[in-house]
Amino acid sequence: MTDIIQRRQWLQRSGMGFGSLALMHMLQNEAAAASVPTGGLINPTHHTPKAKRVIYLFQAGGPSQLETWDYKPMLNKLQGTPLPDSVRQGQRLTGMSGNQAILPIAGSLFKFAKHGQNGTWVSELMPHMAAQVDRIALINSMYTEAINHDPAITFLQTGSQVSGRPSIGSWLHYGLGSDSENLPAFVVLITKGKGGQPLYSRLWGSGFLPARYQGVQFRSGKEPVLYLSNPPGTSRDSRRNMLDRLNDLHRLEQERIGDLELTNRIEQYEMAYRMQASVPEVANISDEPQSILDLYGPDATKPGTFASNCLLARRLAERGVRFIQLYHQGWDQHGNLPNAIKTQCRETDQPSAALLQDLADRGMLDDTLVIWGGEFGRTNYSQGTLTATNYGRDHHPRCFSMWMAGGGIRPGVRYGQTCEFGYNIAADGVHVRDFHATLMHLMGIDHERFTAKFQGLDARLTGVVPAEIIREIIT
Amino acid sequence: MKQTPFHRTPSSETNIGMNTFKTMAILTLVLAFLSATATKSVAADDALSFNQDIRPILSDFCYACHGPDANHREADLRLDIRDAAVEHGAIVPESPDESSLVERIMSDDPELAMPPHKGNNKRLSAEQKQKLAEWIRQGAVYQKHWSFEPVPQSVAFPDAGKGWARNEIDRFVARTLENKRLTPNAEVDRATWLRRVSFDLTGLPPSLESLDLFLADASLQAYEKAVDRLLESKAYGERMANMWLDVARYADTFGYQNDVAMEVWPWRDWVIGAFNANMPYDRFITEQIAGDMLPDASQNQRLATAFNRLHRQTNEGGSIPEEFRLMGIADRTTTTGTAFLGLTFECCQCHDHKFDPITTRDFYRLSAYFSDIDEFGLYSHFTFAQPTPATLLYEGEQRQQHEAALAAVKQEELRCADVVAAARKHWQQHRDALITELPEMREAVLHMPLDGEKDGVVGGATLCDGDNEIACDGAPEFGRTSTFSFSLWVKPATHQPRMLVLHQSVAAEDSGFRGLQLTIDDGHPEFSMIHFWPGNAVRIQSQKTIPVDQWTQVTVTHDGSGKAAGLALFINGSAAQVDIERDGLTRDCRHRQEWGDMNVGKVKLALGARFRDVGFRDGLVDDLHVFDVKLSGAEVAALYDSAGRSDAALSSDESIITDELAIEHQLLTADESVATARAKLNQVRVAEDNLVTNIRQIMVMKHFDDAPPTYILGRGEYTNKGEEVSAGTPEFLSTIPTDGRDRLALARWITHPDNPLTSRVIANRMWHLFFGRGIVVTLEDFGSQGSPPSHPELLDYLARSLIDDHWDLHALCRRIVLSATYRQTSTVEDADAYQRDPQNVWLSRGPRHRLSAEQLRDAALLASGLLVPTIGGPSVMPYQPEGLWEEAGTGKHYHQATGDGLYRRSMYTFWKRTAPPPSMLTFDATSRESCTPRRELTTTPLQALVFLNDPQYIEASRVLAGKHLSSHGYQLEARWDELFRRLISRSPTDQEREVVGRLYAEQLRYYQENEGQAAEFLKVGTQPIDDKINQADLAATAVVVQTIIAYDETIMLR
Repeated sequence: MTDIIQRRQWLQRSGMGFGSLALMHMLQNEAAAASVPTGGLINPTHHTPKAKRVIYLFQAGGPSQLETWDYKPMLNKLQGTPLPDSVRQGQRLTGMSGNQAILPIAGSLFKFAKHGQNGTWVSELMPHMAAQVDRIALINSMYTEAINHDPAITFLQTGSQVSGRPSIGSWLHYGLGSDSENLPAFVVLITKGKGGQPLYSRLWGSGFLPARYQGVQFRSGKEPVLYLSNPPGTSRDSRRNMLDRLNDLHRLEQERIGDLELTNRIEQYEMAYRMQASVPEVANISDEPQSILDLYGPDATKPGTFASNCLLARRLAERGVRFIQLYHQGWDQHGNLPNAIKTQCRETDQPSAALLQDLADRGMLDDTLVIWGGEFGRTNYSQGTLTATNYGRDHHPRCFSMWMAGGGIRPGVRYGQTCEFGYNIAADGVHVRDFHATLMHLMGIDHERFTAKFQGLDARLTGVVPAEIIREIIT
Repeated sequence: MKQTPFHRTPSSETNIGMNTFKTMAILTLVLAFLSATATKSVAADDALSFNQDIRPILSDFCYACHGPDANHREADLRLDIRDAAVEHGAIVPESPDESSLVERIMSDDPELAMPPHKGNNKRLSAEQKQKLAEWIRQGAVYQKHWSFEPVPQSVAFPDAGKGWARNEIDRFVARTLENKRLTPNAEVDRATWLRRVSFDLTGLPPSLESLDLFLADASLQAYEKAVDRLLESKAYGERMANMWLDVARYADTFGYQNDVAMEVWPWRDWVIGAFNANMPYDRFITEQIAGDMLPDASQNQRLATAFNRLHRQTNEGGSIPEEFRLMGIADRTTTTGTAFLGLTFECCQCHDHKFDPITTRDFYRLSAYFSDIDEFGLYSHFTFAQPTPATLLYEGEQRQQHEAALAAVKQEELRCADVVAAARKHWQQHRDALITELPEMREAVLHMPLDGEKDGVVGGATLCDGDNEIACDGAPEFGRTSTFSFSLWVKPATHQPRMLVLHQSVAAEDSGFRGLQLTIDDGHPEFSMIHFWPGNAVRIQSQKTIPVDQWTQVTVTHDGSGKAAGLALFINGSAAQVDIERDGLTRDCRHRQEWGDMNVGKVKLALGARFRDVGFRDGLVDDLHVFDVKLSGAEVAALYDSAGRSDAALSSDESIITDELAIEHQLLTADESVATARAKLNQVRVAEDNLVTNIRQIMVMKHFDDAPPTYILGRGEYTNKGEEVSAGTPEFLSTIPTDGRDRLALARWITHPDNPLTSRVIANRMWHLFFGRGIVVTLEDFGSQGSPPSHPELLDYLARSLIDDHWDLHALCRRIVLSATYRQTSTVEDADAYQRDPQNVWLSRGPRHRLSAEQLRDAALLASGLLVPTIGGPSVMPYQPEGLWEEAGTGKHYHQATGDGLYRRSMYTFWKRTAPPPSMLTFDATSRESCTPRRELTTTPLQALVFLNDPQYIEASRVLAGKHLSSHGYQLEARWDELFRRLISRSPTDQEREVVGRLYAEQLRYYQENEGQAAEFLKVGTQPIDDKINQADLAATAVVVQTIIAYDETIMLR
């Protein structure tokens, strides 16, 4: 707002004529402060933010907590026995295993060991993260309401199972604006070629907020942003020339009709031009030293891998991008889980750990919030046949694990507990909306006060049911 | 001026004197409170209007706890009803100082203050507090929310705007302008007006011909004629349909998860046709809501009801059909609320509305209108069946062909019946030639002894584990017209719902499977032939149950008719009495190539289990026989007898072969005349089946008497069923009569002239089309949280005229675009006026807004001559960056068009809900996942990138450049003249010419100096290049064209 006041004062001093006309256009645009590319709705923030930006490593498909972060030795003891009704408590199952003749308990095929100062149990599938465990806050007691992928992932990303709500990144862009003159405030990176459960543009959509707040997908390959590259037979200079003349036309028009929207349009053309340089620059990792590439692992130099995207996320974070959303598909292991999850962990473990290390080394972890997790957990019983070396797990909304690190997160804590069966929450359940409230809080936003009008209501990310900030994991 | 509901004078005005003392006291209080602030005060003699001044405050600050929602009401106080507020003492009319409301809002005591001074609550401003107090002093007169008041029978227009007004609209606008001390802008030049009205009515810029025609038309009716030409053009229907597609959440895919293609474009054609025929809006609504229920409903009227089937659907593995069936119904309900009534029903799924008098009960009663169809809730995973109910869409000769094919079946059935009757008569007289004991069975095509380790009826038996199916290799795949019989022994371990015994299909019910199945449903043997359950299937169920832990032989026979009457179930050799659950199979129950189904030819018969289904767990099966003929009753008995069971009631009792059984057996196995007749009948059945396979189907609404009841769902959860409710309209609008409880009655209620919302909502939406801003800005919300109308009387006038004109939308359009209000310039002519009304709420300027995503692309295509003006048909796939769908992970590929499909109007672009066309989304198009009547218009760098780099725009630019070169040669001025006229409908100014000329020279130099670059640039797209044209010139001109396409004057409608 100060920006606008200053400009207003400047214009007032500039007297009549075009200036006074422009003044009024500016007044008109006062309400639409968001048209100034850097302005956010919440300024200043509700309280001092602990994190300035977010990197969200979304693990799509529902990673099994039982092979990764939630150690349940009891299940190995009960291997093959039917899931007791006293544990299931009549909870609904999907149609995929709900008709199964028996629900045999399946323990993790992978070993766990204690790591870090707090002795957190971590699976052997994640040696690199095990070494970072003192940096993270591990939540074992996440739960959600949805049991199918689409509603569940939509819920995690927009706060509602029903489509049409803004995604987390859109809310933050809307509320906090952009810190970058040359890059979008909200960038989406998807691991290439994974397949599995599909991703939908609504997950990074702006819902009922204006489209400018939607996430911009950066893709691997020669065109990181759609329509970014100049057409063949043009050069950066020839396009500059074209834009210069277009600017000339727009200035003439502005003199003729004095519409401040035009200033905005000129700015957007200019930002597009800058993005044509800044996006390839950020995507080009050739200036990264070998030590960094080694840190992220062998995939780091393969565009579109999770490792490469983690590195890219750090580069985007450095350049002021507010919300960087990664997606890694392939966690939906209804069958053949042991093999599949090995691959998943191999692809994600080292890069996730490297990202934490890299951010910490640069002093950026303090104000960068890193989040890892999927849309739900997986059942403690096998979907399909259980053998000594193979099994599958169905969707399980009643408990799953996530971790958060950096920007205001208390390092080295474990929060929440599941029952011995790894089926129900035993203590300190964290609902999806609690997670959202916590995320907002770390960004300096009171989730109850941050609203936007939709269908006549003050809609917010956390919805109407009261949400609680998880104080225990915050510094 | 006629009195309208919006300026009702409080009746208590005459009482002011009596309360002067109290009033003074409270005003002193108020003024003391305000003393430190510079807020403008409410003059005590200004009559406050509840709707305009008070309701917005109460609604925003108080109703959440003291409003219509009974479950969240605090202190048993509601402020939305006067009597309740007065009885409670919150409001003492005319006595603000005795009103606890005033005491509480003025209080500084955190314990007392309202709204509670809890951390984040919004606080009332001093002015708002003062208004409330003053309103109570004036008598606390309530009004019904403005949009719930009836549209007045007649709306007199004010005597204003003399010398300026062209029609009644202008008189309302002029009166408001007078009140606001504003004056209307000058009349816009003709060309700009024509560009404006052409985009508004057709979504396209005027062609050069129509521009010249209009500019040259000196007649008095020039404007009227231009409007008529536009209204009569086919593009009008496309433009209006485009608006309706957003409202109807039209898309080409189902939307959830795998997001498979959903073939509903014929409905889009219906919409275009309806607008082009200027179908009255009430009929437009009625056919979409209840076209199927109209007397002698036509194919088109049935097609119209697809409106209520366009919501998202899923086929995600493991989804629960009932959950998604109810979600679909909720979507129909909320879409109806928003599309036709401008009301937000979403929140009422879980709780009473916080601000409007809509209850949860109202929501579910309304939803009951839309649950009257026989539907499943999910769409098919392995086939491309249209989720039922669906209707056939005949094209060309198909209707006659199909009617003929059906008639042929009918005829052969009758002929066959005659032959059977004659043969029957014959054999009755030749009883001695018939069997007298159990016959030899005809040969089975498959016999599986199923000799496992368990004791069976015939040798050993096989135990089923319920999860792993037993393949029946060698069994043929049977279809709707196949004759077949299955027989096997079963020994169930338990009774439970729909336990699967035998099937020819791919996966369980939640996959929306197709095929045949023998199940035991809580002990009742049941057989089904399914194209898509439940709307296109036949299912019979034995009335008798079979016992647990005992062997029973179950046999099913089918005569090739695909009808319940042609199916029979036998238990232990005797025909079972059956109930017919469904009898509406009209398409094949096999996976077929023609439909693009998966697993074609690989769907096998199997026993005991099915992928993700309830299998025959712990049950035993034995001795399966599969026949490709219909067994006779005698053969079934013989089959049973052959097992040699001691408890077999039939064995050695010769009298069991009754005359009827003997004759039936003879007719089925030995009578040549009958065999010939049956063969002929089968032939025509197969012909009809093959024919109907190639006739398109579309999802529609089709009333079903036995539809499941509707319940109030606690917190909207499908598992939380409460009270059962019947269909009904919202209580608070109960003054409008409802006749009946079906969808047709609902349509009549919505279109009833007394419905206060329908006419206002559409009039406002149309106004928005032309002015870029509604009289009510919130097109989607006419409730108390929506924005109040800027020109309430004008809106009423438009609504009333629409009703009086028999809902003629052409007339409404004409009225608006021929008004002086619409004919103003949009430029700012008076800085002071601009400052007072920057948003142009009071309409002292003409409309000004950005073109829509579709209009921008269509304009470029039209100007370049590339636009293919075909109306309607399947969606097309124009240029889109490669790999987008693959990245989404649905395993589907975008098959970019190669010819005309690249150049159709944007409304025909294939709309994939989970990955909509990116260049459209960038320009604020919606994902079409839910009803969205209003798009926010934004300006972003990504839009600039589309103009600069999308092949669609580059190709259009170079094609238009080529036209310029061939028609004008080296006459540069003429090129730019035509370019501007095509895109902006005017010639360039001298300054613009100078800039454009400079750009051209600079680009020409670039292309001359950089050999080969021009050729590269001109390769973009698929249109051929004329080699004879100078490439550098062409490329430079193309850059100029592209620049003008990206120019604000092109992008904006001014």
